[in-house]
Amino acid sequence: MSRNRSILVLIGVSVLVGAWWAFRPEKLFINQKVNEAAPMALSSEPEALYTGKLEGKIHQTSGRATVYKSTDGKEYLRLSDFTTSNGPDVHVLLLRAEDKALGGEIVKGELDGVELGALKGNQGDQNYDLPASVDLNKYQAVAIYCERFHAIFGVARLERF
Amino acid sequence: MVRMIKGGLAFTALAGALLLQPTLRAQDNMKQDSMKQDDMKHDKMQDDKMMHDVKAKTLETGKFHGKVHATSGRATVYQEADGKLVLRLTNFKTSNGPDVHVILVATTDAMDDANFLKDNTDKLQLGKLKGNEGDQNYEIPAGTDLTKFRTVSIYCERFNANFGAAPLEKF
Repeated sequence: MSRNRSILVLIGVSVLVGAWWAFRPEKLFINQKVNEAAPMALSSEPEALYTGKLEGKIHQTSGRATVYKSTDGKEYLRLSDFTTSNGPDVHVLLLRAEDKALGGEIVKGELDGVELGALKGNQGDQNYDLPASVDLNKYQAVAIYCERFHAIFGVARLERF
Repeated sequence: MVRMIKGGLAFTALAGALLLQPTLRAQDNMKQDSMKQDDMKHDKMQDDKMMHDVKAKTLETGKFHGKVHATSGRATVYQEADGKLVLRLTNFKTSNGPDVHVILVATTDAMDDANFLKDNTDKLQLGKLKGNEGDQNYEIPAGTDLTKFRTVSIYCERFNANFGAAPLEKF
């Protein structure tokens, strides 16, 4: 009788061990943290903070907008693989991500944004300095904005890099 | 008198059109080759170049999504100066689990509802997941066709489960 029992216990234990090995349930509660350095001399290079894809349908706009922090601490916006339609009086702005103007094509009324300067070119890679005081937690969208016609050519929503 | 007014109107219209037109045609292309350094003296262009005279290039990036096994963070593919490709996970978090690997998948994205990867999907092993939290790097074998492998997956081999996926987009 006690022999039968010990066989049952043995089977039970091995089933439990097998199940534990397969599912490793303790891992649900145990975290394994790592913190590897960037794979190169990235520390001596500008650090990407935020990035987003530029999109615009009516005034075909594409490319990428990335906010970098240079080694001296200055922040700047870089447009890469960039194309938009050329137009009069086009500017680069930072806007609030929840700004309703971003959804529409024509802006009615005033925009609450940070002016970064006149668009340097409608194609190609280009950089814009950010004012030191700019709050990137508040302004999380980049807009290519034609001031003369209050038209939004393209928008990029910035996400943490 | 009427003729003069007409003339004036026509002139104004023409001037207005001229004011708006030229910029529409001219494509001020300012593509800058950031990899080369020649001694250009244009101050602004030089500024733009200097900041990006980099040794390593960012090729692709994408955000992780995964609900069943909450997965978040970013996957970025870098090319080092010697041509080596490196996958880096940043701000990364997933659920811990048994036998979890980082793989490249030959799809544009792996959706949450396709939690279990199909057998016929091409997969490329990058290695065991080093940690379920934190920044980490994985070497991508030389000759990997990144036009084919467009998705990074955190893949539990034991259960053929996709914990999370990051669709790659050109940086």
